[in-house]
Amino acid sequence: MSKKIAVVHGPNLNMLGLREVGIYGGRTLDDINADVEQEARRLGVEIEFFQSNTEGELVSFIQQCRGRLDGIILNAGAYTHYSIALRDGIAAAQVSTVEVHISNIFKREAFRHLSVIAPVCIGQICGLGSHGYILALRALMVEQFEPWLV
Amino acid sequence: MVSGPNLNLLGQRKTSIYGMGSLEDIHKGLQSRAVELGVEVECYQFNSEGSIIDCLQTAPDKFEGVIINAGALAHYSYALRSAIGAMLLPCVEVFISNVHKREEFRHKSVIAPVCVGVIGGFGKNSYVLALEALVNLGQM
Repeated sequence: MSKKIAVVHGPNLNMLGLREVGIYGGRTLDDINADVEQEARRLGVEIEFFQSNTEGELVSFIQQCRGRLDGIILNAGAYTHYSIALRDGIAAAQVSTVEVHISNIFKREAFRHLSVIAPVCIGQICGLGSHGYILALRALMVEQFEPWLV
Repeated sequence: MVSGPNLNLLGQRKTSIYGMGSLEDIHKGLQSRAVELGVEVECYQFNSEGSIIDCLQTAPDKFEGVIINAGALAHYSYALRSAIGAMLLPCVEVFISNVHKREEFRHKSVIAPVCVGVIGGFGKNSYVLALEALVNLGQM
């Protein structure tokens, strides 16, 4: 049975390609999702895409991944830095989650250096542009994470 | 690919955090992915901060990108940060473990702001992903 993985985009990521292209690049969210879809087909993985600007909708979606999906790729946008609700949602979902950021958050404002969701994710990929989503997908391809990583 | 202090002991210490694989295993995994991608990789490990800096200073003569796991130096070596900044090569920072799950002093990397990006938490796969990232950057 093929793996099912959710790709979840948080607030303002629907504006990709239209805002702050110097930081986030010129590609739109649809462009990025199309690339992920293509890589997923190559790997034989099924993808569910979700984007919301609303914190609560992201929490609800992530909760509903529990027992249903094999992995989550999450770019929580600015919620990364302060949404304890999202953090609790990820922990409750018990689904291996990879945190992705398009930009290198450590090069930017100090308030972006802290990720409150990082401790409940498997790992973090940042600064590598939209290719970060592809790398996250490949990271989730392992049969099972070794217990010492989880 | 440059590894910092204590990474020569992989597989022998704190295996509940870093896993059972040795640094040699990581190097082999990276080399075999490099062959598939059609790139060449050279692997180095140093316990001395100064030796890493010496290595990075000569890197632009020989290499097009650097993968670095600076070990504990990531959290406090401003000399390493300056060396990475000066080298003008894309550098991807790698961690085996998810540093954000661990002690607070490991949450901050002083070299992250001068690296292109950071990949951490995926075990030895972190290195393979970093290599794929550098190859992708080279194609852009």
